[in-house]
Formats: sequence, C-alpha cells, structure tokens
Amino acid sequence: MFERFTKKARAVVTQAQEEARTLRHDQVGPGHLLLALTAVEGIASRALAVHLPDTDGLRALVRTEIDGLDPDALASIGIDLTAVREATEAAFGEGALDRGGKGGRGHLRFTSEAKKALELSLRVAIKNGHKFICDGHILLALLMLPQSAPVRALERSGADLDALRGTTLQEITAEAA
Amino acid sequence: MTDGEQLAREASSRDPAVGLRAVRALRELADRLETLQVGNARSLGWSWQEIADALGVSRQAVHKKHRNAEPSLFARFGKDT
Repeated sequence: MFERFTKKARAVVTQAQEEARTLRHDQVGPGHLLLALTAVEGIASRALAVHLPDTDGLRALVRTEIDGLDPDALASIGIDLTAVREATEAAFGEGALDRGGKGGRGHLRFTSEAKKALELSLRVAIKNGHKFICDGHILLALLMLPQSAPVRALERSGADLDALRGTTLQEITAEAA
Repeated sequence: MTDGEQLAREASSRDPAVGLRAVRALRELADRLETLQVGNARSLGWSWQEIADALGVSRQAVHKKHRNAEPSLFARFGKDT
C-alpha cells in the first residue's frame, strides 16, 4: 500500500510521528495525522485553510480532543482545571497531571484507528479512480472516522465537513489531471 | 449565583453534547488522578490491598489496572539523585 503514497503523504505520516513525539505521546493516533496535515503544505493543508483559516485554533482543538482533558468541558460542571493542575503539581511536580507518556523516542506505534485511517485513504483513492494516495486522501479518510479526535475537533471548530470534503476531492482531481 | 448553584445548573444541562463532554473529561481527569495517587501510594510502600480498600474497589481490579504503572527502582530513587 505504501508504495502508492506520494511524497507528500509519506511526509504526513512522518510528521504525525513528530507531532506525537512533541506532545510526549507514545502512540500515533488519527488526531496526530490531522495535526500533520495542517503542518505539511499540500492539498489537505490548503483545503483546511479554505474552510478553517485559524490553523492554530484548529490545532489547539485537535490537541484537546487527543488529550481528552478538556478544560472547557470541565469548566461547564464547575471544575477549574488550572486549579487542579496547580494543586497536583504542587504535590507531585511539574507535568504531574499529564498523561504518563514516555515521550517516545525512535519509532512510535500507530494506533489501530490510525492504521484504519491509512487503509481507508487507499480505499478512497481506489473509489475515485486515483492511482496514488496523497495527503488529500488521508484527510478524506480521517473524515470517515466518526467520533475520532479529528472529526470531533473539526465539528467543534464549526467547519462544514461536507464542503471540506468537496474542496479536498476537487483539489485531488485537479492534481490527478 | 454561587459556584454551587452554577455547578448544579451546568451539571444538569439538558444538552447531551455538553453534558456528555463534561462526563468524558471528568472521567479522564479522575483516571489521571488515580494513576498519580496509586503510583505515589505504591512508592510509599502501600500494598495493593490497602490501595484497593482506599479506592473502594477489589484488589484484583486495582492491580490489573495499575500494575504497569509500578514505579521502577530507577523512578523511585533516581528522580532527585
């Protein structure tokens, strides 16, 4: 399957590992793939920018969704995450409340959901008669994973997912021609 | 409105999306605090049974969930040395 990946798609896969490493996560999930798509200049990053000009805002939403510790959600039931963080760090040191990742070195494992996304990108390419898999296909694949960090983050960002799909597919087709 | 009232109002939010998000985040927060506290208790020499009793769960449950978080000798002594 990977031999069909374009240079850009390969760069996204590599960048996803980098995103996970930076966040000190020990696995690469679909959310890291979306972070990578915003970072690697290409069809996906351009399509995302059309519908969501605030890239930093989107990246923050994705990080929150990967992390699961959503300060706004906790605030909605009266819990001040900053206060909880301060209290635990006072007792146990800085970063005590962060998920206990080893901050992986070397090769990070892809979660089954992330692998599924990459497989889906192949299926999307085949379905559209494309002989290659590019970053745009990876974005379309991520959009097919309901309740995943990417879809949750994009929904919260208020983006029109159908329009995003349309733009992405259009760009891929233009590239293929 | 006091904080308590605010909390009660939000906790009973009728919008499932808001309420369920809060539950999910709260569960994640509780999990992390548990990991932190169990690790600390183990490094202070608490037995699995003592930890289980404190958490109100079975020894098997707490051991199964946290045995991987057992502090290594290095983590136990190495941090400040």
